[in-house]
Amino acid sequence: MVKFGIEFVPRQPYWKTTYYVIQAEIGGFSNLWITDHFNDRNVYVTLTAAALYTNKITFGSGVTNPYMVNPVFTAQAIATLNELAPGRVVLGIGAGDKTTLESVGVEMQKPLKAVQEAVEIFRKITVGDSVAYSGEVFKTAGAKFLFKPRGTIPVYVGAQGPKMLEFAGKVGDGVLINASHPKDVEYAVSCVKEGVSAAGKKLSEIDVAAYTSFSVHEDIKKANKAAVPAVSFIVAGSPPQVLERHRIDVKKAEEIKESLKVNDWGRAFNEVTPEMISAFTVCGTPDMCIERIAELLKSGISQFVVGSPIGANVREAINLISEKIIPHFKT
Amino acid sequence: MAASEKEQNSMDYRKLVEMINVARWEMVSDKLVDLILTSKNDEKMPNQLANTILHSWQHGVLKNESGLAALLEAALLLEPEKTINTLNELEMENVAEQIKTALAS
Repeated sequence: MVKFGIEFVPRQPYWKTTYYVIQAEIGGFSNLWITDHFNDRNVYVTLTAAALYTNKITFGSGVTNPYMVNPVFTAQAIATLNELAPGRVVLGIGAGDKTTLESVGVEMQKPLKAVQEAVEIFRKITVGDSVAYSGEVFKTAGAKFLFKPRGTIPVYVGAQGPKMLEFAGKVGDGVLINASHPKDVEYAVSCVKEGVSAAGKKLSEIDVAAYTSFSVHEDIKKANKAAVPAVSFIVAGSPPQVLERHRIDVKKAEEIKESLKVNDWGRAFNEVTPEMISAFTVCGTPDMCIERIAELLKSGISQFVVGSPIGANVREAINLISEKIIPHFKT
Repeated sequence: MAASEKEQNSMDYRKLVEMINVARWEMVSDKLVDLILTSKNDEKMPNQLANTILHSWQHGVLKNESGLAALLEAALLLEPEKTINTLNELEMENVAEQIKTALAS
């Protein structure tokens, strides 16, 4: 049976995000993902509040990257969280966003290698091992926690490109596929399968999540309107081959990118078309969302993640998902 | 502390909640949560009160007397006018009047 996860961007005060987290747990979500961007509130502080105010939801970074924070510190934060909520914590890690990293002067060097090495270091140090590691990106000289970590922590690899997807399938306990359209998810799962096979595993042994941009409302116009800002950023950040796969005018995407660069939000948002919304989000009335999720499930995913913006009114949207969408897939 | 905050702190929120018909507590709780979550005056929320609300929410008592009292306090701190208007719309003029009197004194 498919699991439902939910992503929150901790841009609001901790008590608002935590309210929604509790609501999500009550409403039947099994996984919580908190984004990690330096310009929002801190992911681990937000997860700490989530740990303290929930009882059963599994949670993790969605996703952190190996560049902004050294992997041993990421491991320390996650291992400490695992003391607050034993067995409910996972690590979500990906390569990060190039533009964001560059904005703080961090170069995204060898992303595949960096994630691979970070995962190796994370896994060793979080089981209490001393880590002497000499990688291409990271080096440690006998790093070891001075406390005893509580058990093995699952690692989810966030991925979009074919190589990272394959790697995620190969080493991950889970994969977070950054896509919302059945075509993209189907392609991504095929890449994950290659990695899984290479590791001698079965796809069913790992948790494959479609990490979508999502917007639900009883009024489709309101659902679409809420989705537009997120879609503009996704379109601006999509490579030409992805745009072409969805028959989206590359020139138009370039215009959106330029408008966003100069903070001309109005112009950027005006350029977003219904085709773009359809390509890059799961968006619409509850019934429309159910239909799209059902399509996505055919590709073999085991978790559906409701990502930002969730809806025009987050509380109402979580209620709609809990009352109309999740029950549809539990029967 | 601002004068209005002092006045509000001296308000007995439980007594105000007792003035509301128990059958309507759930509905009032729902409306107040909406006001608080959609408010832009986040900085007016005291942490202790926020934690009380979260604790009540986690334990399913946000629509009980103590939970509702916390919500009422938060709603009046963040959105005093909207809270009074909401209570009037819900035909709880007596509660709204009591609050207005307390705030004006």
